[in-house]
Amino acid sequence: MDYVVEMVGIRKEFPGIVANDDITLQLKRGEIHALLGENGAGKSTLMSILFGMYQPDRGVIKVNGREVRISNPNVANRLGIGMVHQHFKLVEAFTVTENIILGSETRRVGMLDIRTAANRVEALSKQYGLNVDPHAKIEDISVGMQQRVEILKMLYRDAEVLIFDEPTAVLTPQEIEDLQGIMKNLVQEGKSIILITHKLKEIKAVADRCTVIRRGRTIGTVDVADTSRETMAEMMVGRSVSFKVDKQESRPGETVLEIRSLTVKNSKKVDALKAFSLELRAGEIVGIAGVDGNGQTELIEAITGLRQAESGSVILNGKDITGLSVRQRNESGIGHIPEDRQKRGLVLDYTLEENLILEIYKRPPYSKNGLLQRAAIRKHAEHIIQSFDVRSGEAGRSIVRSMSGGNQQKAIIGREVERDPDLLIAVQPTRGLDVGSIEYIHRRLVEQRDKGKAVLLVSLELDEVLNLSDRIAVINNGELVGVVNASETNEQELGLMMAGYHKEEGSA
Amino acid sequence: MNNSIKSLLAVLFGLLAGALLMAVTGHNPVEGYKFLIQGGLKSPERIGNTLATATPLILTGLSVAFAFRTGLFNIGAAGQMLFGGFCATAVGLSVDLPRALLLTLMVLAGFIGGALWALIPGILKARYNVHEVVSTIMMNWTAYWTVYYVIPGYFKGESLETESRQLPPEAMLHASWLSDMFQGSYINLGFFIGVVAVLVVAFLINKTTLGYELKAVGFNRHSAEYAGIAVKRSIVLSMFIAGGIAGLAGVAQYAGNASSLQIGVLPSQGFDGIAVALLGANAPLGVMVSALFFGVLYSGRGFMNAMTEIPPEIADSIIAIIIYFAATSILIERLFRKWKVRKSRAPHSAANKKQGEREHVDNA
Amino acid sequence: MKKGVLSLISLALSVTMLAGCGGKPASEPTGGAGSDAPKANFKVGMVTDAGTIDDKSFNQGTYEGIVKANKDFNMEYKYLKPAGTTEADYSKEIGNLYDAGFKFIVTPGFKFETAVHKAQEKYKDAKFVLIDGSPRPNPDADPELKENTVAIYFAEQESGFLAGVATALHVKDGQAGFIGGMKIPPVQKFNWGFQQGVKYANESLGTKVTINKENVVYQGTFDDVAAGSQLAAQMYDRGVNVIFAAAGGVGVGAINEAKTRVQNGNDVWVVGVDVDQYQDGVYEGDKSVILTSAVKKIDQAAYDMIKAETEGKFPGGQTITLDAKNDGVGLPAENPNLSEDILKQVDEVFNKIKAGEITVAAEQGDLIE
Repeated sequence: MDYVVEMVGIRKEFPGIVANDDITLQLKRGEIHALLGENGAGKSTLMSILFGMYQPDRGVIKVNGREVRISNPNVANRLGIGMVHQHFKLVEAFTVTENIILGSETRRVGMLDIRTAANRVEALSKQYGLNVDPHAKIEDISVGMQQRVEILKMLYRDAEVLIFDEPTAVLTPQEIEDLQGIMKNLVQEGKSIILITHKLKEIKAVADRCTVIRRGRTIGTVDVADTSRETMAEMMVGRSVSFKVDKQESRPGETVLEIRSLTVKNSKKVDALKAFSLELRAGEIVGIAGVDGNGQTELIEAITGLRQAESGSVILNGKDITGLSVRQRNESGIGHIPEDRQKRGLVLDYTLEENLILEIYKRPPYSKNGLLQRAAIRKHAEHIIQSFDVRSGEAGRSIVRSMSGGNQQKAIIGREVERDPDLLIAVQPTRGLDVGSIEYIHRRLVEQRDKGKAVLLVSLELDEVLNLSDRIAVINNGELVGVVNASETNEQELGLMMAGYHKEEGSA
Repeated sequence: MNNSIKSLLAVLFGLLAGALLMAVTGHNPVEGYKFLIQGGLKSPERIGNTLATATPLILTGLSVAFAFRTGLFNIGAAGQMLFGGFCATAVGLSVDLPRALLLTLMVLAGFIGGALWALIPGILKARYNVHEVVSTIMMNWTAYWTVYYVIPGYFKGESLETESRQLPPEAMLHASWLSDMFQGSYINLGFFIGVVAVLVVAFLINKTTLGYELKAVGFNRHSAEYAGIAVKRSIVLSMFIAGGIAGLAGVAQYAGNASSLQIGVLPSQGFDGIAVALLGANAPLGVMVSALFFGVLYSGRGFMNAMTEIPPEIADSIIAIIIYFAATSILIERLFRKWKVRKSRAPHSAANKKQGEREHVDNA
Repeated sequence: MKKGVLSLISLALSVTMLAGCGGKPASEPTGGAGSDAPKANFKVGMVTDAGTIDDKSFNQGTYEGIVKANKDFNMEYKYLKPAGTTEADYSKEIGNLYDAGFKFIVTPGFKFETAVHKAQEKYKDAKFVLIDGSPRPNPDADPELKENTVAIYFAEQESGFLAGVATALHVKDGQAGFIGGMKIPPVQKFNWGFQQGVKYANESLGTKVTINKENVVYQGTFDDVAAGSQLAAQMYDRGVNVIFAAAGGVGVGAINEAKTRVQNGNDVWVVGVDVDQYQDGVYEGDKSVILTSAVKKIDQAAYDMIKAETEGKFPGGQTITLDAKNDGVGLPAENPNLSEDILKQVDEVFNKIKAGEITVAAEQGDLIE
């Protein structure tokens, strides 16, 4: 069999933890091979070993059938292994070409030779259908384009094996489709790809084979075409997983949130939300569907008070809260699971228990006369930790930075739900989380709905919006395209609406 | 890694580097350090002098550390100290009150003066996003020249154009029982101002909702905003408090360690405060200990000079190099973290890296 | 860990480099400690004022006197540098010298007045020489001199007077200016003496040199070189021909400005201060912009006191003023930029001061501040 990369019996131990234990991964030439596993299963360690950042304690790595020792990333590069990182490593102020040649600059008589490089970038771009302008500045191009620049970087260095680390986490549905097309082009041109992911849908869409690892061990390698999503999920999690969110028909009650003709400017002083109106009632989940950057952020910030509205009003439980501060809105009954949990939702250098009182530290019993009451704070933390299954090294005293993304998110959700708000806003609540956590968080949101709360869900994952929402409001370019019942719509219709076609036009 | 271990390591490196410097310049490091420490601690008088030397450093260090804990880099402790000291001196020279009342008023004036001096950069930062490093440095020179103008103009002594009149004894922090206890040292009540300030700041930072707010803003402005904390107000308040503490350093220096205010001098303690804070890991008690360490160095240096053949310039370099290394405790942490990321907890290493990057974005 | 090792190595390297720089002064015989003489019981200590030991002024003058004495007498010597300029800083270093057995202590500058006042009481078996000041309990009080202390003053005004006469004679018809550092007594006395000298030359020697009010300036520091250049440039632009700069580093700025202008063909001069600054003003070959310097012989003062002590004639409890009469102030021995004729006239004036025929006031009177 013609394997381009073989990792056999890899073991890597860190003090206290066996990160990889006898893992075997064999990559055929010209295939897309998915590496599937939950967060912390050992995917990153394995790929770091392949990329030369760690040395395995045991096991053999073969490239093109020859045993090799990859002592650092430069060796990996020379062996034709390239990595497209999840977080791009690009210089914003540089052009595409400048970024690509950074570190292996072409020179002519000691001078930088940009033109030759640009020509080569353009040729590569054409060959693989990447459609990248070699002279564009990084800061001016979209995230999807930036990712292609990362891919080009590898191709420019003649990589034969490309490792994609969670490549779709930052992409819109359309960009994801484009990326999948590119990956297929790449293998057709003879490259081989390892795709690190925990998204089964993507594996189904592009991968040929899939190696599943769990807790540092290989569970098995399967042909993707012959294996159902459920089977792969079971292999990954170790138990059966349901994809369908289990929920009853909603029974909407009183109007909780009323948004009236809200107009909001973005940071560049351009109207990002234009005369947007929406109603949200107790006991229902309303999902906002839309491509990233179409006014969702501004809408949420205007509701929560993080951003000032230009005109229009936000009414909560019949009370106009448009002029209130963030804290006053919090106290009027808004809970907010923010889009970016590390930037907004948590003070990463605070302990877990300190984070769990982020909005309520001024209230008794958590403080009295301006003094924090440690005992009450701890009790509160213990309660949330227990009821929301937040796992961390030292319970309430753990520094949040040291916790995994899933547990950070659970902490936020626990904090917001415990405040018992009438309106719970959840923005991208499951972004970057593994299947187990996603399932759990979805259940919690539905539970809130069933308790008679209004839930506003913003997600870029259409699946999530469709599965979880009772009604779906579609946003495009800051305007409300339409509101549809989740049970009466499908991905195609939503896709069209997200692109700006109104329902009537679409069906006409 | 424990902060105190980190700081101790930094001091150790500093002392080693200083020893190396002594050895290379042909002096005996053991002897040098022996006299350095003796010079700081040999007799009650020397201990008292060391404490007095450390007093302004405790307060400027505390000022920088407090600002740092709340996400601000206060380079302007020197100017705040000078202006606070100036306000206290002005009160001491122009108000006639019973001693206890007068001293209280002077301390208050010093705090307010320093606080006002930091308030301006605070407002500039909160409202217009002017970086406090730049504005506090500029305020240093504004204080320098303001004092330069006002002291000769309004508080000039009879014979000296370059300093204020001497403070009357009742307006000074000297206490004879204290000087007697330390056998004639110039230690004064300023030391207790330092101790009290340390305790108050420790309490404020760790136990109060205000401290919780200010620290939250310092760690992550965005999440503080999300939590409903008035971020701008917090920034201004942080600078106000930090400046006030530096102003107290001015009181301790000009009404305690000295008896008048000299013009044309930007107090070096303001800048040493940065090193003190770094070495003290920005914790109030840490600042106290590291200021005392600096006090021993500054106080003992002269004796080392006098007892050995080490000339003052080399002695200055030795002290500077110890401080330089001591202030690199952050570097030590970074080295240690790198090593830790490599060696352990690999499954989380990717996550750590992500968070690290995110942090950069936050700072930007 | 590789990067860690690297940074450690680079740190170590920087240490050795620093050490290399520091190594030189220590290996020179003129370093801080006078180990070249045989160990002796007589130990002379000095505490420096603000500024370095090579400040071309007080510290350096005093130190040179001590070094000179070291060649002639069996002694040991050392100087200490205080951390600041408060009384406490000075007292600490005096204490350090005393504890290390240095019981003959020289302190340059009036800022030592209060510190020496305390020290003469506290260390009764030590002897103190205070240059340019007298021990006092506080700066505004009357001097209180104990038996173990000598206070030395200079008649800067006389030195300034001579410089003023020389300047006026050289310029004949034109303008002079003054740049001072901080407004402290010795600098002020130089200024006032200079003004009186110019006035004297105008009245008695037929010159027509004016000093305008705007051309008498105290910059406010002794170290702002750039400000010195700027002030000098302004004065020269206003038509000033000679600037008397009693201003340390600020004066260096004035000298630099004069060099530039002379090289562009202008006829401008600077009068130096404290020591013969001729060498500082050299711009080409041995041509200098320093017309002359108003000198006070600090080194001589320090030397004389040490000498007196070795002979058992330490004039404890006395205040000594060094002036024209005892050749403690004057112009440098060599003045290449002054003509024979001018030097002769200056000499005559010098003799008249010595003889008491001319008295130079040490106060402002009706002069420009």
